[in-house]
Amino acid sequence: MADVRVSYVSQKINKVKWRQSKRQLSQDNQSFVTGSWDDEQNKVCLWKINKDQEAKGMEEEDFGLDEGEPNILCEAPHLGDVTGLENIGDDYIIASSSCGTVTVYSHHTNSQTLGIVHQWEKLHHHNKRPCPCTCIATQDDTVITAGEDGRINMLTMGHKGPSRVIEKGDSCTINGITFLGQSQFITVNSSGQLKSFDMRVNTDEPTQTFQVTGEMTPLQSVDRHPGQPDIVATGGQDGVLGVWDLRQGKMPLSLLEAHGSTIWEVKFHRTNPDHLFTCSEDGSVWHWDGSHVEQTSAAMVTAANLTGTGAGSGGGNFTTSQLNFNTSASVNFSNPWIATDLAKNKVNVTTLTDGVMPVNCLDIDGHNLICGTDGESIISVNFKFLR
Amino acid sequence: MIVDTFMELQRKSSETMAAAFHAHILEASKKYRATLFNYSRNLQKLINSTGDLNQKKLLDDHLMSLQNSELIWSLCEILFIDNHAGGLVITQLLGWIRMHFEEPDQMYRSIIVEERPEDQYKYWDCIYCLVLQGQVDEARRLLSKHSCYSTEGFQTVDNLLRRMPLLTHLSRGSSVAEFDMKWRHWREECENRLRQQEFVTNRNLSIIVQILSGDDTVFTDLKDLCQTWYHMLVSKLLYQQPTIQASDLHHHVQSCLDEYRSNNSRISEVDNILILALEFDIHQVIKDSCTLSSNWWFVAHLTDLLQHCGQLETRRLQFGSNLREFLLLEYAGTLMSHKTLWIVGIHYLDHCPEFGRRHQELYLESLPIETEMKAQKLFNICQERNMTDQAKSICKVVGMRHLKNNRLGAALSWFLKSKDVALATVLAEKFLSEYSESGRFSNLDLIDNLGSSMLLSNKLTFLGKYREFHKLFEEGDSHAAGSLLLSLLQARLAPKQFWMTLFIDVIPLLLAEEIIFNAQQTFELMHCLEELITEYRVFRRTTMTPSEEEKLSLLREALTQNLSRAIITEGTIRIGLIMNVERNILYKVFPI
Repeated sequence: MADVRVSYVSQKINKVKWRQSKRQLSQDNQSFVTGSWDDEQNKVCLWKINKDQEAKGMEEEDFGLDEGEPNILCEAPHLGDVTGLENIGDDYIIASSSCGTVTVYSHHTNSQTLGIVHQWEKLHHHNKRPCPCTCIATQDDTVITAGEDGRINMLTMGHKGPSRVIEKGDSCTINGITFLGQSQFITVNSSGQLKSFDMRVNTDEPTQTFQVTGEMTPLQSVDRHPGQPDIVATGGQDGVLGVWDLRQGKMPLSLLEAHGSTIWEVKFHRTNPDHLFTCSEDGSVWHWDGSHVEQTSAAMVTAANLTGTGAGSGGGNFTTSQLNFNTSASVNFSNPWIATDLAKNKVNVTTLTDGVMPVNCLDIDGHNLICGTDGESIISVNFKFLR
Repeated sequence: MIVDTFMELQRKSSETMAAAFHAHILEASKKYRATLFNYSRNLQKLINSTGDLNQKKLLDDHLMSLQNSELIWSLCEILFIDNHAGGLVITQLLGWIRMHFEEPDQMYRSIIVEERPEDQYKYWDCIYCLVLQGQVDEARRLLSKHSCYSTEGFQTVDNLLRRMPLLTHLSRGSSVAEFDMKWRHWREECENRLRQQEFVTNRNLSIIVQILSGDDTVFTDLKDLCQTWYHMLVSKLLYQQPTIQASDLHHHVQSCLDEYRSNNSRISEVDNILILALEFDIHQVIKDSCTLSSNWWFVAHLTDLLQHCGQLETRRLQFGSNLREFLLLEYAGTLMSHKTLWIVGIHYLDHCPEFGRRHQELYLESLPIETEMKAQKLFNICQERNMTDQAKSICKVVGMRHLKNNRLGAALSWFLKSKDVALATVLAEKFLSEYSESGRFSNLDLIDNLGSSMLLSNKLTFLGKYREFHKLFEEGDSHAAGSLLLSLLQARLAPKQFWMTLFIDVIPLLLAEEIIFNAQQTFELMHCLEELITEYRVFRRTTMTPSEEEKLSLLREALTQNLSRAIITEGTIRIGLIMNVERNILYKVFPI
């Protein structure tokens, strides 16, 4: 079974994101960013996970350092709830706020501080009165944001104002946004619609709108399949996981009644997209394993290799297992998520944690899953043998 | 962490049987204490690192109160929760003392590594302390480092210590009576050896054996090493009456207290609570602890545990519920007033059967809603607990905020969520009046996809259907558009002030090349038009504006034309009949 660790951090975490840095190729240096919400003073924090040797090197009385325990590297105050958090390249962290602001932070490694590089104020507003920005997505230097005002802003790093604004992106609140390709993106809104937009087109209208007919349950989160951007997973306010194929039909391919309450985040594994993760208001985090839907030999080999590395569980072994992920993704191109009637097929669902407090966010990188909760805790899960 | 333990315990209390549940209570109690302990250590670290004296003082006070809580809690755990069969408590009490008096351990660790430990001036004090705490092995190890260890006196003491019967070995099959006998023999030997003045040459060894034989005077002499009356109580009992039962402990309190009374005549609050605990006066323990600790955390959780143990009789308080619920409500109250911890408070209130729900309702209504996300969370909380009124009020707040910002679509999505008929109707009217004014609909993405939710209010249904008519018309499906429009009029779904707009929409259909309304349908339209005109004349007593008059005449013309075309195509036989029946209407509507 997976290794689950809960750390208490005295802030309600609304967003979490692994830092991916080319400079830190070795997996020994794991760091991630979190954003808090609903606090007197919200914060963006950069964390580092302690490794074995460091913990041992410390003085005995410094009992705070425990292997695998996240420790704060640095933090910066953030005005309003952190509603979105993304990395831009190696150097920048971008955070959106419930005050309608989007802030770019940079991590100064020398002084171990987080400094504000740029801030776009009042990107989201009702007649100049600020209104919450609800989500953010990045693609290289381009950032898109959406908010309760139904606006969609396109920002480019280094430019002062938004490069483009879709004033009437949606009649309702946009809850989630993600890029499909270089210039296309999709949004999900609080009336249960999924809309795709193309930035190359000059109109503000979506290119396509998808919806479960007659259903108005809000969609809260969205992610696209890393290999096939036309396959999209959504998390609903009623806890239903939807899988959509944007190439065909206006209806989802499958709807799976999953969690007992709102799915706040849904995420495909970047390099092993047969695995999907969801977290929910009901306090649970689920691992959806679609690798058994089609039992190809490639998938089996990967599983065997991974179990092997899991036993060793050293940082050095990791690169090899990551390679395995890649091969499995390319060799095994057929996609379990588009199997018709997914529910009847063998998607293995594992409950990773099942607490009382809502789990607001998750991020997965390699073997490592990390989640933030309203119980002021960070849950990290290490999949020693992610099948 | 605390809340997880609490929730787990409440869940188990309803799931597991009494016997198995008791283990869970003990586990929970230990978890709570572990959390307290961790917290104190972190606090200690913070105190060491802070430079601000005022801050330090504050934190010190806080740490003090935490440590006192821990002291009381662990004693309560031993006495009320972890009470073994037979009620033997000395082993646990020793653990309790060791936990709260760490100096002997620290001394031991620093002395044992010295080259000649006996030169340390605290060497003997340390040995006494270890013996007083029952840490026999450590004491022997220190003794063995002494240069005179091989002499007879040392060997005798070492031997006595080695053979000291320990209650921890009790589980290995021997009974309490057997232990008692063994212990009595052992103690007799200690006393004999003392009486024979075997240690007269070494005062230190003599003191050790005095302790072992439970000599009252030596405890008085060593009272500074014991530091407190409760340490002395436990040490004394270890060597005087190790098989003492929990319920008899209080008989020995007074003599120990007296030893320390001379220095300090007042008994402190903490001491008092400990005495009350030893006297098994649980209610008073809780009551006094309330005043001792600055927040409700400690008492609320302890009381909850004791209640689950069945240690608290369900005595009703004058002010409603029982003690457990009262304290939980107070604790939840402090959480609810906290900016971030309110969500934890809600969960605590779930476990207050009598007033929890009422409190939740009141708190939920007063929580500020800054974002839709928070609103969504609050809404979920209400829905899970079937609090329809509160759920509705949350949606209303958010919806009205959107309405104020002229975000009609977003507002509607919230009113639909709470099935708020009145406000959904208001919004539908707003959409319609917007259309009447501008001739265009906004928020089409929402209105076009209302689905069955439009059935919530008549106005909303009309809005949805009317929009459907437009779509059908635009798509060129004139027949479907026409009959939909007619049914909207016939079913009186359309509000009267909107009829004129509908009639104007009819005109192009009437003038279309192909016949869309048959004769019967045309008559129906005429009926409705007549009704509208009557309304204008009779009820509103207004005349039409010139432009309306103009539209009316255009409509009449179109209707007659359509009627004549329909009649011709439908044949001639039925027409005479219809003409007779409908003549009156024709004359009224078209006073040619």
